[in-house]
Amino acid sequence: MAASPSECGGVKALQKLRSAEPPQWLSPSPDLAEAARAASDHLFSSLRPFCPKSPFDRLLIDGFDAEQIWQQIETQTQPLVSSLRRELKWFERNPVEIGKGFGARRIVEERGKDLEVPDEGFEDFEEQEKVGFDVDDDDDDDGEDDVDDEEEEEERRGGGGIEDRFLKIKELEEYMEDDEAREYGDSKRKRRGHEEEEDDEDEDIEGLGGSGSEDEDMNARYDDFFGGEKDKGSKKKQKLRKESKDMDDYEDMLNDDSNEDDEPENGSDEGLTGDDANLGQPEEGTLSTHEKHLKKLRLKIEQMEKANLEPKTWAMQGEVTAAKRPKNSALEVDLDFEHNVRPAPVITEEVTTSLENLIKLRILDGHFDDVQRLPSLPSKGPREKKELDENKSKKGLAEIYENFSGMVPFLLSNEMITSFISNAFLNILIVASLLFKKICLKLDALSHFHFTPKPIVEDMSIQSNIPALAMEEVTICLSYVVQSIAPMAISDAAMLAPEEVFAGKGDIKDKGELTQAERKRRRANKKRKFKVVSAVANSHAANTIKRMEMKARSSTVSNAKGEEES
Amino acid sequence: MESNGGASSMDLETVPAEQKLGTVSLPLKPKFEPLTAHEMSGGKIQFRKVSVPQHRYTPLKKAWMEIYTPIYDQMKIDVRMNLKNRKVELKTRSDTPEVGNLQKCADFVHAFMLGFDVIDAVALLRMDELYVDSFEIKDVKTLRGEHLSRAIGRLSGKGGKTKFAIENATKTRIVIADSKIHILGSFVNIKVARDSLCSLILGSPAGKVYSKLRAVTSRLAERF
Repeated sequence: MAASPSECGGVKALQKLRSAEPPQWLSPSPDLAEAARAASDHLFSSLRPFCPKSPFDRLLIDGFDAEQIWQQIETQTQPLVSSLRRELKWFERNPVEIGKGFGARRIVEERGKDLEVPDEGFEDFEEQEKVGFDVDDDDDDDGEDDVDDEEEEEERRGGGGIEDRFLKIKELEEYMEDDEAREYGDSKRKRRGHEEEEDDEDEDIEGLGGSGSEDEDMNARYDDFFGGEKDKGSKKKQKLRKESKDMDDYEDMLNDDSNEDDEPENGSDEGLTGDDANLGQPEEGTLSTHEKHLKKLRLKIEQMEKANLEPKTWAMQGEVTAAKRPKNSALEVDLDFEHNVRPAPVITEEVTTSLENLIKLRILDGHFDDVQRLPSLPSKGPREKKELDENKSKKGLAEIYENFSGMVPFLLSNEMITSFISNAFLNILIVASLLFKKICLKLDALSHFHFTPKPIVEDMSIQSNIPALAMEEVTICLSYVVQSIAPMAISDAAMLAPEEVFAGKGDIKDKGELTQAERKRRRANKKRKFKVVSAVANSHAANTIKRMEMKARSSTVSNAKGEEES
Repeated sequence: MESNGGASSMDLETVPAEQKLGTVSLPLKPKFEPLTAHEMSGGKIQFRKVSVPQHRYTPLKKAWMEIYTPIYDQMKIDVRMNLKNRKVELKTRSDTPEVGNLQKCADFVHAFMLGFDVIDAVALLRMDELYVDSFEIKDVKTLRGEHLSRAIGRLSGKGGKTKFAIENATKTRIVIADSKIHILGSFVNIKVARDSLCSLILGSPAGKVYSKLRAVTSRLAERF
């Protein structure tokens, strides 16, 4: 490495920072700040070759504040740190590589410049590690180990054409196994145990061998030390359930349990013993997807059948009285029933404003919905209220009755009427009643126009036998002329009745239609009637004549007597 | 005598006519004078006697002429007071025009004895259709002691105003004599007055009776 002056300055600055005592950092000093900036610049530039994706070639210090400088460093170091982590994990898994890596460092350095493409990643990897370890004083020792590991790895590599720095088939296989273990099993150990079960049903030695080969690859893990307790417990229970009959196996299991902590080598024994107990029955945790699904279904079915056997909840029982359900349970359940009542309107500001507007409009218009009183009908005039006289009446009873003032006896006997008939008051009353009846008649004709016959007044009048319609027309015409009389009610009843027109019976025959016998009979009847009439007339005439004669005689007799005497 | 004369005259008329004519002729329609009251009773004289109670003795003495005059002059009935018996005696005369006059006079005097005034009682002489109706308070409701007195007081009213109110409204005359009540008037009026008095006896206040009276009387007045 050619030490550039900037690099020297950077190293010096780093050393200065290192030497600065802690109390110096408490107060801000420009010297320390300058040194820090220079150091970070040097580090940045030294790390720059390892970060292909970094946007900055140099750390921009001048004119930038701490935050911005820090951001720049962040952008460079973040991908760097993640890659470093990856490498660390890889080395964890393959501790052999560490030594190899370090061992081959010198070789690689020599060859590094010639072989760029295949070993580029490798170079970077190496350099990164180197630089990283230079910066961190604590990790120098580890860096050597890593180089050793790298050496080892390089030697092992040879493989087929498909393998290159990215695709390592062995790593791929191991990764797949790990992944499967993670998905289907709790620990790699179990998986291993399962593998061993499958393989080593018949032969134990191979299992041991197999376990032995795998032991080399297996590193100590957290689960082996601390996570194993859980597994142990569950595994123990399983073992107990499965092997409860075999006491020998139980002892073996105890032995196995005690040995578990030391090495995972006994995992094979466990696997064997477990396998002896359970022939053909898969343990929990090693079930396939379908089997797991089926197990879940079975559980669910069991649950549902259990629920069906139990009595239903009160909400599903149909008609339930308050005594049959727990207290206040109806409040919790969402009951569904029809609400026949419209729900109360939600009063919002808009509702109130709309109502108020309506009220205002109504007031302005004067359009109210008041209930109006019915106007009382002016049917009767105000009654005369008669005041009761509480004094002794001055008139005698007879006078009161004679004067007819005030209350009148309900029944007027004939004698009373006759005694009062001379009284002018009664006469006037009678006349008045007659007048009133006439008025009533006229008013009825006006109001009803129904047939109201005239009061039967016996007087001679010419009865014209013409239809009412004709009469009405005439009266109407007349009324226009006269304009004082309301059209009188006219009807057909005033016309002559049929019997008035002709009173007879039977078959009416004309003279020409009569037969001889008929004619004779008619003549005979007529003669008979005539005789009777004439006889009566004669008798009347005879009587009158007789009377006259008698009177004449009596007078003459008296005269004669008188004459004789004188 | 007149009647006999009349009969004889009638006979005289008919007979000569028959004799003279010699032919059968219908007799003439007889004319009869109406019978007098005296003849109707067969020529006998009738009497009525009305006893005078103690408390009406002095009023009778005072009002004697007013009683005597219409009876003697208009009704043509003899009347006298029998002091020994303390009775008013009435007797028909031969020229008494009506048969019922005697009874009317007797009623008139009897009304006076009950307690009515002469001017009110005279209406009995003048009109046929007036009657006197009497009843007792105990007929309506059994009241004793104070209740009876209070009932009588209720009937009369203060200064007799309730009684006068009923009288004026119903055109009757009322006499309240201790426990007896007499009403003089026509049939319908008596009924109305009696109803009011009974309601008063039974305990309704005067105002209520007045309102009822007003309604009834107005209704009766309208009917005519």
